[in-house]
Amino acid sequence: MHILRFRDATYVRDGKAIVAPANFDLAPGERMRRACGNAREAEALAMMAAALARATSGSVTIGEFDPRVQPVHCKRIAAFVPHDPLPLSQIDADRYIAYRAALWDIDPVAARTRARKLHHALEGLHEAFAYPIVGALLPLPQLLVLDRPQPAFMAQILAAADCAVLIVETAGA
Amino acid sequence: MTLRALRAVVGARLRAERRSLAFACAGAAIVGFVQPHGITAVTNPLTADIATRSVWLAGPMFFCSMLGIAIALLQGPGRHAFLDTTERSAPLFGRELARAKALAPVLYAAIATLVYWAAQFLSGFAAPPAFFLLALACVFASTLVALNATVTTGLARVLALLGATATIVVAYVLAVYADAYSTKSGDAVGVATELIVCAGIGFVALRQYGELLARLR
Repeated sequence: MHILRFRDATYVRDGKAIVAPANFDLAPGERMRRACGNAREAEALAMMAAALARATSGSVTIGEFDPRVQPVHCKRIAAFVPHDPLPLSQIDADRYIAYRAALWDIDPVAARTRARKLHHALEGLHEAFAYPIVGALLPLPQLLVLDRPQPAFMAQILAAADCAVLIVETAGA
Repeated sequence: MTLRALRAVVGARLRAERRSLAFACAGAAIVGFVQPHGITAVTNPLTADIATRSVWLAGPMFFCSMLGIAIALLQGPGRHAFLDTTERSAPLFGRELARAKALAPVLYAAIATLVYWAAQFLSGFAAPPAFFLLALACVFASTLVALNATVTTGLARVLALLGATATIVVAYVLAVYADAYSTKSGDAVGVATELIVCAGIGFVALRQYGELLARLR
């Protein structure tokens, strides 16, 4: 049983190989770190794991679903946290939580309550980095994909996530 | 897609581009006020009809459609990366997301067109409501075609922009000439022709936008 499976999965963009053939399995509840050669590779791998990018060759399965065929099912299982912080100058935290809750069709009151708990668990982490994680964990995903997260707060992030976690980092981070 | 999700996507996009809306409305108001509306004296009723339509429709159709195209191009990736990433990671089908994302620039363009009309009205040259409908249909169609340029690159992007410009020209020609030459059958024929053509172009453009969004990178 696996929640994420990569089999010879590659990602090619504009004729350049970004992700070399990747092979790994992630079981439910398991935490895994994947080191990538550079930021572009890390971002592509994280997006492939969260069904936001399609493998050029090989296969990726999320839960029992193929992102090429059933991307919506995959996105209900996997949650993606981007590397970039939330631009709080453009959207405040409460509005962001309401926005995420609406997109994932979560009861707004339950979303606010859960967001408060998660934010408390991530205390110390700057809001711009904490809220994307809070937002990703709102719909109770089975897999959390972190694209180059803040290493200093990794213990808190892992404690807050009650699901499988894939941490994609650049080598040496 | 739930109505709540639709409102969330449209609301977030509208809020993110509220400054652009203010500029678009200000531009529409100024051009609506200063646009010339008079025509030279002519005795032939058909020539007068065409001259009136061409002068009264040129401003709103060309200017407001250009505003719509500019607003559509602002929806491109990178400008609001967090919105793009969140929308893409949400469990929504490409076509659903396309409809929601398209609604924001279309609403913006509609507001700008309304402001243009209000400015015309206040300056004492209120065009008939059918002219507003004709201009609005052209603005919607060209905005939807231009949206395709935000998810394509290279030649495909150039073609999408050319398509948006061609849509304005076709809609204008239909609005001015089909309307004027269909006076025997009533204005409805000319109005309906332009509306049907714009609806067709808009529908195809929206479908294409949905297909492009559905394709993962």
